[in-house]
Amino acid sequence: MRPSKGNLSQAKKTQAPERSEAEAIARAKLGDAESFEALYAMHKRRVYSLCLRMTGNTAEAEDLTQEAFLQLFRKIATFRGESAFSTWLHRLAVNVVLMHLRRKGLPLVSLEETLEPQQEDGPRRDIGAPDNVLAGSIDRVNLERAISSLPPGYRVIFLLHDVEGYEHNEIAGMMGCSIGNSKSQLHKARLKLRDLLKLSAGERAARR
Amino acid sequence: MTCDEFQRVLPYIMEGGGSDAEQTHVQSCPHCSALVEDLNSIAAQARLMLPLRDPSPAVWSGIRDSLEREGLVRPAGNVVRLRPDGLRPRSWSWAAMSAVAALVLLSFALVRYRNLLGTPPAAVPVTQAQVAPAAPLPADQEVVLAVAERNPDLRATYEAGLRDVNDYINSAQQTVDQNPDDPDAHEQLMQAYQQKAMLYDMALTRATQ
Repeated sequence: MRPSKGNLSQAKKTQAPERSEAEAIARAKLGDAESFEALYAMHKRRVYSLCLRMTGNTAEAEDLTQEAFLQLFRKIATFRGESAFSTWLHRLAVNVVLMHLRRKGLPLVSLEETLEPQQEDGPRRDIGAPDNVLAGSIDRVNLERAISSLPPGYRVIFLLHDVEGYEHNEIAGMMGCSIGNSKSQLHKARLKLRDLLKLSAGERAARR
Repeated sequence: MTCDEFQRVLPYIMEGGGSDAEQTHVQSCPHCSALVEDLNSIAAQARLMLPLRDPSPAVWSGIRDSLEREGLVRPAGNVVRLRPDGLRPRSWSWAAMSAVAALVLLSFALVRYRNLLGTPPAAVPVTQAQVAPAAPLPADQEVVLAVAERNPDLRATYEAGLRDVNDYINSAQQTVDQNPDDPDAHEQLMQAYQQKAMLYDMALTRATQ
């Protein structure tokens, strides 16, 4: 919250966002409504995007965003700053979404068998003649669309690892599965995405 | 090594690179090489994905209503507004700051006086020894006492907050002493005092709720 002694000008230029967030956290702990709103404004987009990508449903994503921030604000007095505030918030949001998906009865990765895709649904093994290489032709719109088409179990693992940046050991802890299971599911998710992206590229080529 | 054997172990070697045999295979097999390249490209593109968009305003309305219902926030009218950069307006003058501080302290004195008349001291066992573990300023002691009488759970929070802001003031004051012509140093000192005034303001609200 306070600057180091000495070069205050430099500190002010380089640390303004952190100081602003730290100040908002300190004041939110004291019940300051505007600080709650400031923290919400800083983080709402990323939390909402996480919820939306993981559920694929706008209404559910908004409900989960609200729940995540409410849980955050109820617990904010216990935040001690051992980790970054955003890390703390996003872990909390992930847990809220996972709990929601479990309540809905969607299979995640606690039992690997349940995640094995149906024959027509999952990625095929890639043994055979070389196809066109996909690399370099992946655009984000198509990737976003392909992710939303993934089965929930694959989608969650892929988003947590490749988009949100969690490590396999963290994912295993959150999902209650083994690290190997997490790696295996991520691989299957990427294979499935590759299939979907190739299909999409083929359709685009056929339209031309 | 065959393609089938390589692809069975691929999920577990994507990050680490694999053994010499696995690396030899992927370098010599155009099919597996293309597969690895594609999977790495998907992962790389995923890392670049940006947050999509903001939630609707109804989400914040729901959060705010719940916070107010649960008593987690102070009423909106008592709020000192945070600007986006976390600073208060520059137009505050030293005279205004002094006046605010004096008014806040006067208010605390009145609150304390009323509380002592209206509340049995034994109901909230607060002692001077508990209040001043590290010899805080007398005015700070008064603030902590007033808050603790109404909200004992907040004592530690306000003690820590005042300790932090006093450190901030001392640090900024030293910088001003060392660089008396640096306008940024003066601005930091002003901000430090403004933070303390804000803390007093919030404490006053707590003490009167």
